[in-house]
Amino acid sequence: MAAPSAIDETLLRALEAVVGARGIVSGHARLSTYAADGLPLFSQAPDLVVLPRDTDETARVMALLHTAGVPIAARGSGTGLTGGATPAAGGVVVSTARMRSILELAPADRRARVQAGVVNADLTTAAAAHGLFYAPDPSSQQACTIGGNVANNSGGPHCFRHGNTTRHLLGVVVVLADGEVLDLVRDSNDPVGLDLVGNFCGSEGTFGIVTEVVVKLVPVPERVETLLALFTDLDAACGAVSDLIAQRLEPSAIEVLDRLTIEAVEASVYAAGYPVDAGAVVLCDVEGTDEEVEAIATDLVRIAERNGAFEVRRAADAAERKRLWAGRKGAFGAMGRVAPDLYVADAVVPRTKLRELVRLATEICRELDLKLANVFHAGDGNLHPNISYDRRDPDEVRRVLLAGTRILEACVAAGGSITGEHGVGLEKRDHMCALFGEDDLDAMRDVRRAWDPSGRLNPDKLLPIRRCSEIHADAVTTERVVPSA
Amino acid sequence: MSGHPNHTAADAPRTGGSTRGFDLASLVEYTKTLECIHCGLCLTSCPTYQLTGVESSSPRGRIHLMRSVAEGDLEPDAEYADEMDFCLLCRHCETACPAGVEFGALMEHARSGLTEQMPRPPLARALRWIGFRFVLPRRRVLDLAGAALRAVQITGVERIGRWLLARAGSVVPTSPRVPKGRARRRLEPSTPADGAARGAVDVLEGCVMPVLFGRVNRATGRSLAGLGYESRPLAGVTCCGSLHAHNGDLDGARTLARRMLAAARATERDGSDPLPLVVNSAGCSAHLKELHHLFDPDDPDRAAAEELAARVYDFTEFAAPRLRRRPPERSIEGAWKGPFAYDDPCHLCHAQQIRTPPRDVLAALPGLELVPLENSEGCCGSAGIYSVLRPADSAAVLEPKLDALERSGARTLVTANPGCHLQWQAGIERRGLDVRVVHVAELVARAYDGRTTE
Repeated sequence: MAAPSAIDETLLRALEAVVGARGIVSGHARLSTYAADGLPLFSQAPDLVVLPRDTDETARVMALLHTAGVPIAARGSGTGLTGGATPAAGGVVVSTARMRSILELAPADRRARVQAGVVNADLTTAAAAHGLFYAPDPSSQQACTIGGNVANNSGGPHCFRHGNTTRHLLGVVVVLADGEVLDLVRDSNDPVGLDLVGNFCGSEGTFGIVTEVVVKLVPVPERVETLLALFTDLDAACGAVSDLIAQRLEPSAIEVLDRLTIEAVEASVYAAGYPVDAGAVVLCDVEGTDEEVEAIATDLVRIAERNGAFEVRRAADAAERKRLWAGRKGAFGAMGRVAPDLYVADAVVPRTKLRELVRLATEICRELDLKLANVFHAGDGNLHPNISYDRRDPDEVRRVLLAGTRILEACVAAGGSITGEHGVGLEKRDHMCALFGEDDLDAMRDVRRAWDPSGRLNPDKLLPIRRCSEIHADAVTTERVVPSA
Repeated sequence: MSGHPNHTAADAPRTGGSTRGFDLASLVEYTKTLECIHCGLCLTSCPTYQLTGVESSSPRGRIHLMRSVAEGDLEPDAEYADEMDFCLLCRHCETACPAGVEFGALMEHARSGLTEQMPRPPLARALRWIGFRFVLPRRRVLDLAGAALRAVQITGVERIGRWLLARAGSVVPTSPRVPKGRARRRLEPSTPADGAARGAVDVLEGCVMPVLFGRVNRATGRSLAGLGYESRPLAGVTCCGSLHAHNGDLDGARTLARRMLAAARATERDGSDPLPLVVNSAGCSAHLKELHHLFDPDDPDRAAAEELAARVYDFTEFAAPRLRRRPPERSIEGAWKGPFAYDDPCHLCHAQQIRTPPRDVLAALPGLELVPLENSEGCCGSAGIYSVLRPADSAAVLEPKLDALERSGARTLVTANPGCHLQWQAGIERRGLDVRVVHVAELVARAYDGRTTE
């Protein structure tokens, strides 16, 4: 393949001198595997992939790419669900997949310093030896990286109690677009001055590339119990969750899985003993001291039964708990049994309105003749309507995106938001207009320009690249729902 | 590469056509690629992704490449072929995949398609033919090859050859040490049970097993005797064909499978129930349980292969429940240094989901202290003939496993597959560690009859 204009032999040689031959991916076939992340709906192969091994190499790579003036997309494991790691045309992917060292584990300080490419679950495994864990636990935690978690301010089931990534960040080392290294690691747990780390978290690769992260570790609770409440239908399960929240109950995680999800999980290697005859289940973790756990569990059983649970089970041991959670976390992938592709919507609603919005999503998908499964962080009001489809069918793709848009609009209208934890990326970029006015977006664009004046970092992500009025007009006249460059 | 920025994949061309005369259906098993939903949970399980961090060297990436070839978006070029060859076929990804993608079958098909449609250089082709079609299926030739290799090794010719090749810049795989002739002798037609017989079994003697690991075959017989079973090597077969299937020679694998089915039929004497077939090589037991994949649904051999699969037991799987009924009494102390660590062969834990039985077997042996080995389910890099085809990658995959072995403090490493056995031995020697490698059957035999080797 002819070398693209911006990336010439000289640049390739210079990059290779920094990262070594194995740190460069340049062939056509190999590059094609970087065209998409966990959302294959959008695809654009990069012209080059570079895999630096540490902060210093990243800085030198970024300086070279700065001179070349090419757009850059950062990528960890590529498990994101909004196209956040999809490169721009003519772009370069800078991957953190070779930055996998846990640099420092300080159990006495309850903190860890890791390279950005460390896999979320690996950190928790390493911390477990000291009676600690890393709390944010995205469903993709066995593959996703801490760097990607920072970029998306990722959540997970247990963030109901522990909070999303930003609550656990003590510092980051980032490399800016021109190769400048910014060390934002502080010694104290309380930020002094502007909270730049907080500002960086959730910037989806548009501010800089995070190369090192310092996080808090949390003590493993004295006791954890996992309860599974079985309902005949999804509606009742949602009602039970709203009631749990209203009664100020504090389990550490409240998840809902519906029948279609359960069937897919139970057919997979992650089969955990979820009852295939239940219409929906509510999966809860309760943690604390023995007394706390017993008190919450008793209340939980009472509230679940009051809302129609026909049975509430308790995991017998740690092995069963682990299986139940592994099943929950494999749910997205397990949907591969239903259809070749899955669209995982991510929206937030007030928790008093779970029932009506889940009903509405079901209605929307029925109208558009789409197969919907629900598995979501109910405790956070974080819906994940999962729509199965086949990307080879253009009309089905159109209907999926239309359903996604309608669900998001309904959630915003109900006082919710367009993302709970997956980020905005490419998929929901234009939906930002549903949540923010043009002035708000301009203010965000100013912040972004302050970090990256060149505008080359993930250029087409997160913030609309056109005025909202144009996007609205376009949507009305062409019913266009796919973001266009 | 598609020219449109952010084009939706729905624009992708349909499959069914052909790219420059390639027969796409025989290159890739297309429908199986559609099971992959691109979630990425397989990434960290993959030894080549762990090694490189490169997406195209991950299961998800390789499935994407296969699908692109099937859809006519990608030429099956050298780059594609290299990623297919780079895979170790350890099938760890199948243990991680929530969608149940049959990656092993996909990869075997893709490699077979490449062999048929993208001919390799003449020398490589000739070597493949000699190895797969001439040597492996023939007991006599294997014996001669073993004797020749031994001669080369003890005369020092091998060392000179390796030195010359290394000087020429080649990475030379270590050749497995061939034991002396006595140790390479065949199994007796029957090894009787010790004490009261509980039954009889067939055993698979194998192709390279008798040449390199005759002692393991005999230890298997002694173990079965201790367990109360008479054992008879299955007559009329040499190689089961697993190496062929893994390396792009599905036709060769099919021929050997038919030979295996005929041999199995011949043992069905006088209408009694067929005997269990006990296999002490995890790669072979995995292959024999999936033999039916090689045949079309309407092929009568498919049903026969399914029946055979029901008879096949990996040694550890056969021994574990039976050890409980007849516990061995002799301590294995003194014969090997403790503590012991068990490393799961991929084709046992990922291809057959056998994890507990080997550990149960070890727990039943008096005087054996087992310590945990980190990432014991990770591939050691042996992968059949991979260690010969890609020696540098193979050795690199083993490196973190050697680190884990050192951290475990084990002095004896237990495995249940000849490829892993050789790979560990070579790595341990390279690093100069004081650790011995042993097949689980050798330990069981010792616990029953008190002998270390014959």
